Amino acid sequence: MDLALHQRQLLGLFRSTCDVGQDDDAYIQTVARSRDLREGRRNILLWRVWVLKRTCPLTFTLLRRRGILEESVAAFISQQNISPFRETQAPVFLEWLGGHSDRLVACVAGFERALTKVRQGDGETHILAWPVDPGPVLHSVAKDTALPDERTSLCDERSGGPWATVISRDLPGGFEIVCRDEAEIAVPGLEAAQ
Amino acid sequence: MTGDGTPVGGGARVSMPIGVTYEGRDPALLERVLPLVDYIEVTLETVAEVHGDEIRLSDEIMAELDAMGDAAQIIVHGVGLSIGSHEGWSPTYLRLLDDFLDRFEVAWHGEHLGYTKVDGEHLGIMLAVPKTEQVLDMVCERVERIQNRYKIPFALENIVHVIPDYPGDYTEAAFLNALTQRTGCGLIVDLYNLECDAHNHGFDIPAFFDELDFSAARELHVACGVEDNGFLLDVHSQLTRESTRDLAREAARRSAGSARAAVYEFMPEAVPGLGHDAIAAELIRLRQAFAD
Repeated sequence: MDLALHQRQLLGLFRSTCDVGQDDDAYIQTVARSRDLREGRRNILLWRVWVLKRTCPLTFTLLRRRGILEESVAAFISQQNISPFRETQAPVFLEWLGGHSDRLVACVAGFERALTKVRQGDGETHILAWPVDPGPVLHSVAKDTALPDERTSLCDERSGGPWATVISRDLPGGFEIVCRDEAEIAVPGLEAAQ
Repeated sequence: MTGDGTPVGGGARVSMPIGVTYEGRDPALLERVLPLVDYIEVTLETVAEVHGDEIRLSDEIMAELDAMGDAAQIIVHGVGLSIGSHEGWSPTYLRLLDDFLDRFEVAWHGEHLGYTKVDGEHLGIMLAVPKTEQVLDMVCERVERIQNRYKIPFALENIVHVIPDYPGDYTEAAFLNALTQRTGCGLIVDLYNLECDAHNHGFDIPAFFDELDFSAARELHVACGVEDNGFLLDVHSQLTRESTRDLAREAARRSAGSARAAVYEFMPEAVPGLGHDAIAAELIRLRQAFAD
């Protein structure tokens, strides 16, 4: 058998990028038709969901409350080359969500990514502009309570709102919420983040 | 507590040392389980962090393991070596192993007989290798290189078969027998993986037990997952079932002393649901199962 071809075809089947025809190896045809393959793909999804629930709980909760958790993780799996190193998955996932069309998702993901970094010793100060008041949103995802509807309705605005989060290991708890006007005075570098 | 079967705390003679997974970031859990086990099993992929473009061992978790002192021996059990990939194994995994072994004394290390990447692309899951002569030669050569590189025992684990097995030259047990006999490496017999294969694919565990050379068994794994869409998943999220402990007892009996530890595995994501007390009770139950 050609081991490289065998493994490439199975990779293609799991990624749904391999079209199997009658000329292909009988075993590959069997796998392509099998229920096991579908369950295997679902297994991959569930593994990612479990790991992300632990490693990025704020963003995980927001996606679930938005009703877009499974579709987001499925898209992540199909678009990213995900390492088996579990702790590498959340940073890649959060960075990938930074480009999300839902501004609130992008903000919470960016916030959690920065907070994780400073808790691991990163000495930089990270400043993120928000289109809504981050306080109620972060409280909601931290406590897994209903999102403040009147605020999330603003999340499709492309421009930033008047709020920002400053994330730094020098701050108690690792972050603070500021009005951007205040931050422009208190925190050098905010302009670059806007 | 000793790992060689000597009496523990003046109680009954221990017939099988016990181990448990510990993935770090939960010092209270470590404190809870340490008095109950002989071995702590560390998964390098889980105790590593991303720093810029680099994956390296977590300083925080290394400090936790340092503080453990000699309360238990350490076993390393990897996931990302990908010994069965046609293009070769993961150099990142071996670099982490190098770093870990520079820092800690490790009783032995183990990995899975499977592959997680193809041409550098990650599958997102681990697949079993085809049990052919060609693959056996490839894996044996790689095992020998690992054994030459690290002067501690190395063992490979039977993995769950996610998809139907390739019709190769060997049965599951015969392939493992040939691998251990040719290389002298050890075997990690994962009883829950066997139960998943039996549930999902009708795998014949009694026939496997009868064919397997248990003298190569160095470690036994017990765990439990959940059923999803009728499939038993290898997710390590539950306390063990009696059937799994029965299989482990039978494997221990057949190994006749070659198996050095029975390790209860659970993923860190399962800890909040299981709770520290339940995990501790499971370890006590497991020790009792082998002492009966």
